[in-house]
Amino acid sequence: MTAFSAVFLAGLALLAAAAVTDLLGGVRWRRLLPVPYLAGAAGSACVAVAGAAALAGQTVALRDNGLLGPGTTGPAADPLSGLFLLIAFGAAVPVSAALASWAPGPRGPRRRGLAAAYALALGAVAVVLTATDVFTLLFAWESVTLAFYLLAGFRRERPRRPASALITLVFGRVSGVCLLAGLLLLASRAHSLALTSLAHVPPGALRSAAEVLLLLGFVIKVGLVPFQVWLPRGYAAATGPARAIMAGVAVNVGFYGLWRTLALLGPPPAGVTGVLLVLAGVTAVLGIAQAAVQPGLQRVIAYSSVENSGLILAGFGVALVGAAIPNRGLLAVGLLAATLQIVAHTIAKSLLFTASAQIQAADGTDNLDDLRGTIRRRPWSGTGLAIGSLTLAGLPPTAGFVSEWFLLESLMQQFRVPGLGDRLVLAITGAAVALTAGFAGVTFVRLVGLVVLGKPEPTGAPGPRDYGPLGRGGVVLLSVACLAVAALTPLEIRVIAAGLAPVVPSGAVMSALGSPWVLQPVFAGFSILSPSWLWIVMPALFAVVILGAWALSGRRLLRVRRVQPWLSATAGVSGRDSYTAFGYANPTRRVLAAALHTQVEVRDIGGAQHQPLSEADALADEVGAEVLPDEPGREDGVAAPGPHIWYRSDVIEVVEQYLYRPVRRPFLRLVRLAKRLQSGRLDAYLAYMLIALIALLAVVTAVH
Amino acid sequence: MAAGTDTILGSVPALWDEVTRRVAAGCRFADLFGTAHAGGLLLTAHLVGPAGLETWQALLPPGAASYPALTPRLGAAFWYEREIRDMFGVVPEGHPRPQPLILATAGDPPRPGSGSPPGAAERAPEVLPSHVAGPGLFTIPHGPVRSGVVESIEYLVETPGEDIPHLNMRVFYKHRGLEKRFEGMTSSDGVLLAERTEGIATVAHALAYCHALERMAGAEVPWAASLVRVIHAELERLACHLDVIVRLADGAGLAVATARFGWHKEQVLRLVSQLCGSRFGRGVVIPGGVQGLPRVAPAELLTILTGLDRKLGADLRVLMGTASFLDRLRRTGPLPPPRAHEHGALGPIGRGSGGTDDGRAARPYDAYGSLSVRVASRPAGDALARLEVRVEEIAQSFHLLRQATDELAGELAGGADGELGGAAGGPVRVPCDPAEGRAVGWAEAPQGEVLYDVSISGGRIARCRARSASFHNLVLMHEVFAGDILTDFPFIEASFGLSLAGVAR
Amino acid sequence: MMWAFRGLRNGVLTTRWPARPDGYAASTRGPATVLAPASQPSPPPSQNGQASLAGLCPAGAISQDGQGAVALDQGRCIQCGRCVAARPDLFGWQEGPGSAALSRTGLVVPPVAETPERLAGVRADLRARTRALRRSVHLRHVDAGSDGTEEWEMLALLNPVYDIHRLGMFFTASPRHADVLLVTGAGARGMIEPLRTTYDGMPHPKVVIAVGTDAVGGGLPGSSYAAAGGIGGIVPVDVWLPGSPPSPFSILYAVLLGLGRLPAQAEGGGTR
Repeated sequence: MTAFSAVFLAGLALLAAAAVTDLLGGVRWRRLLPVPYLAGAAGSACVAVAGAAALAGQTVALRDNGLLGPGTTGPAADPLSGLFLLIAFGAAVPVSAALASWAPGPRGPRRRGLAAAYALALGAVAVVLTATDVFTLLFAWESVTLAFYLLAGFRRERPRRPASALITLVFGRVSGVCLLAGLLLLASRAHSLALTSLAHVPPGALRSAAEVLLLLGFVIKVGLVPFQVWLPRGYAAATGPARAIMAGVAVNVGFYGLWRTLALLGPPPAGVTGVLLVLAGVTAVLGIAQAAVQPGLQRVIAYSSVENSGLILAGFGVALVGAAIPNRGLLAVGLLAATLQIVAHTIAKSLLFTASAQIQAADGTDNLDDLRGTIRRRPWSGTGLAIGSLTLAGLPPTAGFVSEWFLLESLMQQFRVPGLGDRLVLAITGAAVALTAGFAGVTFVRLVGLVVLGKPEPTGAPGPRDYGPLGRGGVVLLSVACLAVAALTPLEIRVIAAGLAPVVPSGAVMSALGSPWVLQPVFAGFSILSPSWLWIVMPALFAVVILGAWALSGRRLLRVRRVQPWLSATAGVSGRDSYTAFGYANPTRRVLAAALHTQVEVRDIGGAQHQPLSEADALADEVGAEVLPDEPGREDGVAAPGPHIWYRSDVIEVVEQYLYRPVRRPFLRLVRLAKRLQSGRLDAYLAYMLIALIALLAVVTAVH
Repeated sequence: MAAGTDTILGSVPALWDEVTRRVAAGCRFADLFGTAHAGGLLLTAHLVGPAGLETWQALLPPGAASYPALTPRLGAAFWYEREIRDMFGVVPEGHPRPQPLILATAGDPPRPGSGSPPGAAERAPEVLPSHVAGPGLFTIPHGPVRSGVVESIEYLVETPGEDIPHLNMRVFYKHRGLEKRFEGMTSSDGVLLAERTEGIATVAHALAYCHALERMAGAEVPWAASLVRVIHAELERLACHLDVIVRLADGAGLAVATARFGWHKEQVLRLVSQLCGSRFGRGVVIPGGVQGLPRVAPAELLTILTGLDRKLGADLRVLMGTASFLDRLRRTGPLPPPRAHEHGALGPIGRGSGGTDDGRAARPYDAYGSLSVRVASRPAGDALARLEVRVEEIAQSFHLLRQATDELAGELAGGADGELGGAAGGPVRVPCDPAEGRAVGWAEAPQGEVLYDVSISGGRIARCRARSASFHNLVLMHEVFAGDILTDFPFIEASFGLSLAGVAR
Repeated sequence: MMWAFRGLRNGVLTTRWPARPDGYAASTRGPATVLAPASQPSPPPSQNGQASLAGLCPAGAISQDGQGAVALDQGRCIQCGRCVAARPDLFGWQEGPGSAALSRTGLVVPPVAETPERLAGVRADLRARTRALRRSVHLRHVDAGSDGTEEWEMLALLNPVYDIHRLGMFFTASPRHADVLLVTGAGARGMIEPLRTTYDGMPHPKVVIAVGTDAVGGGLPGSSYAAAGGIGGIVPVDVWLPGSPPSPFSILYAVLLGLGRLPAQAEGGGTR
């Protein structure tokens, strides 16, 4: 066993130790609560180091030879696995540190199991990324699904959590079933369980069908329309920074699966690529449309995951088109764009969920209208939230800007594609991605402008403070990564080129580096970008402007007289007097009413004292916020007549409403029908087993 | 023209019964105010019916701190009872919103009619409770220092973003205490203060005040003076309507239209200053007649008016054909005709919602009885209808101006020289200086009907109630935002064309 | 398109004032003034001339001292015309737009023997303060209880006849962007706080102009439970502009006076 294999094994062992510590120790001693997470952090660091070693070409393999079952080989990391190990577990380290800081806090876990689920998730992700045979892959995949179920349903006493966890489990199982079917089809033809042997299956209907099933299984995991309905629910239902594990770290298994499928089996049949591209565009638009109008912070970030899945899959679609032609440059630029977006998304999503977890824990509410000016009360989390938002909005000089630029550039290469159908589909997807980028700006400006920088409400008690040193370190590390990765993009591209070697020759990807600091979308002479230069020029310009202003103002720039913000010299209003997050999203609700099915309700309630907020109450309960009734008004004890008009504007999830709701009833009827089989009688079950055995024997005999 | 009954009823509920009975019989509720009286608080209600103006009164015993409110039975009294509460401190029981309207202080109420000046008190503005409930709603405070050169008022727009489910107003910022200031003035000085109550309707307020005094003294205004009064009143109407058009064109971004109508309005104001020395007709109307004849000969005046009419008419025709402009006004700020009728909306607001009441035609004063006045009316009730009413009134004003100038030319040709008649009793005024009495005068201002209820004792004003059309109409602002958004707000406000000085007084 | 051509019909309507004289500006009626004070002696006070002279003015602008010298405080003149009509030998109208003054006492006619150094000091201070505002200035208006006419006269500055944009002046909505504060109205007590808030919200350097007799001296509403008798006690005023209402040319004159942009001869020889 080589040194780095030992490191990898040590990482897995540390994760197992973390799970054991949590299950045995429980939450009795608060001082020991961070221990499992610290062990997890150490384990993640080991795994990330092993991944980096695999990227560099070192051998990282755990020889197994049938230990887990006949035909299985132990986990081993090739450069593609190493790349994803580095990305996922590199982000898992600061998140684990934040978890260690959050767990002893007032909103931490009240019973054992959270750290165990977290360790299970990380361990399963590591095994999926390094699986070399079908059985290990499927086993680890189901473990990931189980871990998601446990994480989403941890706070099962809250309303709606059990339902969200169940939906997460259902979709996870569906994806597992698809993977099972596809892999078994291939394995049956290849007569071996090793993944590398699946590449040798002769092309034909079976191989295409299996590839489609594999792709289906993986895109369910990452949340492509129409399978994205579980993502926001599942992510929002989890607790604390565990959301970052789910949405930032673990979601990469889906992308890894897609990359590996492309590496093993090549491009899918022609129509599938077009459908994938269009669906990716639709996913991006729907995701950001919903994110722009959600009233809860966690939901905004969760829907942004849907949007990013769409973007990454759009890049992947370009790569598929390039693989089908075949055009190596197109393949390279598509994969490069998608991988860059994966990196940016992993870091930023982990950062966002980590920061928002502490904000929610400290402020006790998730409602954007109640979270104002967080940068003043929780400076570390607030700054983290701001930097994560800027990254996902694609603003220079963050990593998100580079990745979105690459993505749009890759979609713009559609003129190199010979077929009209492909060109049309690429153009449509490009338009959708551009629209998404615009609305991403709107969404994250709402977060940064109102939640981070807004005018803080005068609240009573200051509440618990920000993260402790561990959590701050985690947030700082992730924020610095968001910015540094952009500055060091050439290095990042080299790393990615090494990682994508199994799929596309690294020379093709490296041609994205036009000159040491200047990037181009693989094809020369099209356009260039230099984020490193941006990182030098932008601060320099900023400094020049500040110096100029200081000089021209006669050195009076810092003499500031502070007065109240201008509000037309009003005498004061009851309630909020400036734009709420809800009001800010109003134009989006109206403009995208087709995608959101905005509904407005205006009702005369004639002076009733307190109207319970039905949907908003429920949502607030779901995320654990307090619900305050509307204040009636006067302080002199005479209750003024209450509000006279009830106004509500709401959006609905289109896919869920029109695709899943109609099939719910017949599906449940089917389930009730199938329940008849579960009669509870032993002789009935024995009869089923006999029938199944006879059928199997008949099939086997007929085949041979 | 008849002053109506003037009896004091036994109790306040009896007064409300009578008022609601008369309103149900077809009268229009016009005014409700209080006067500090030796026997307590005297509540006076004015109603305008087919037979003219009626006055009904009741006495609230001294020491009574409250009375049953009229508003639940007659919605048009909403603001009047709030004003009574501000001025006298008595609470209308059952009033849905008894919050301060024109005076928001925590001190002794001023009590007009009592003759004693109250001291300055601490401002205590109340925060108005929200009218609309729902997630994410907030209130945009627009005022009192608003954007642009406008009068001070605070609009509280309760909104979820762009829609306007509800609008609140706080008007107490501009209160100058004019009703108390009237007390103790001589009747000739009173007309100066009446002019400055609502400056853009100077002539109309002066006319209403002088009509009250002339009715009290039984004075008959000379024919030439009544013609001069008509000329100035119609020129003032032109200026106000042109101001509304300028604001609407400015709101719609029609730069050339704004500039041209601004130029026309400037020409009207310059013409007025040529006639009398003041751009707003100040100092022209005095009790008993006018200060002097116009300084421009009628023939020349006619030429100027004809030229102005021609240019203005051409621009108005083009404006009323500009589709993008009309689109901004169509169905904006709709006031349903039944609501306008129920409230008794005055002026172009009422006539733009199907009303047909115009003081110049229904209760003629000065020379209007001999001139033909056509009432402009439109049924739609939106901002476009109000603009169409004003455009028709502009044409009507030119017509009346030509008639009055012709008559004046004829009157002066048969009389003495037309210069300033310095001594009392020339061709332009008669003595009018009543020492005791009480009367009501009215005039049709560009915003609507203005009522003045003047009581004089010992040669000095004891109580002068100035009810401008703006005060009666502004409350309708709450109700005209049906489906409009924030960007429609300037159009609705401009189409109302009210002066906030007359609201807060 | 049709509007664009309509605008060209009547040629240039804009006045050239103050670069060239304007007939309407020269004939603008300002507040009442005392005519040729030294030409004829007024009746001595014992002949009840004092009572009748001071009683002529409903706003209390006319006063007569012991020696019989008549003084008229233009800051209280509401332009009712009674004094001019009753004693045309003594009182007349001040014509022209130059009715604004840099000090409150400068509004009393005939001019009090004010030390020229003090006036020059005020003028120099104002010039120093407005050095940066010569070429382009933003105006913010606050209505502290006016009757509506002063706002019309200020809005008239935007019509093509006066067109203040040609002088580099603009009306602005936010006090943060404003240099000059124009206040109208008698200082309604409800507007004291908002006026102070607006004044505080303006950055230095700023110039405050009290527009209209109501703002200068309280006018007819005067000082009562509801009005403060002018805005002089609420914010520090730099330029006092009487008139009920002051004409647009007078307002323009006052703004230019506040910014030190008037040519020397138009400033009336330095007595205001």
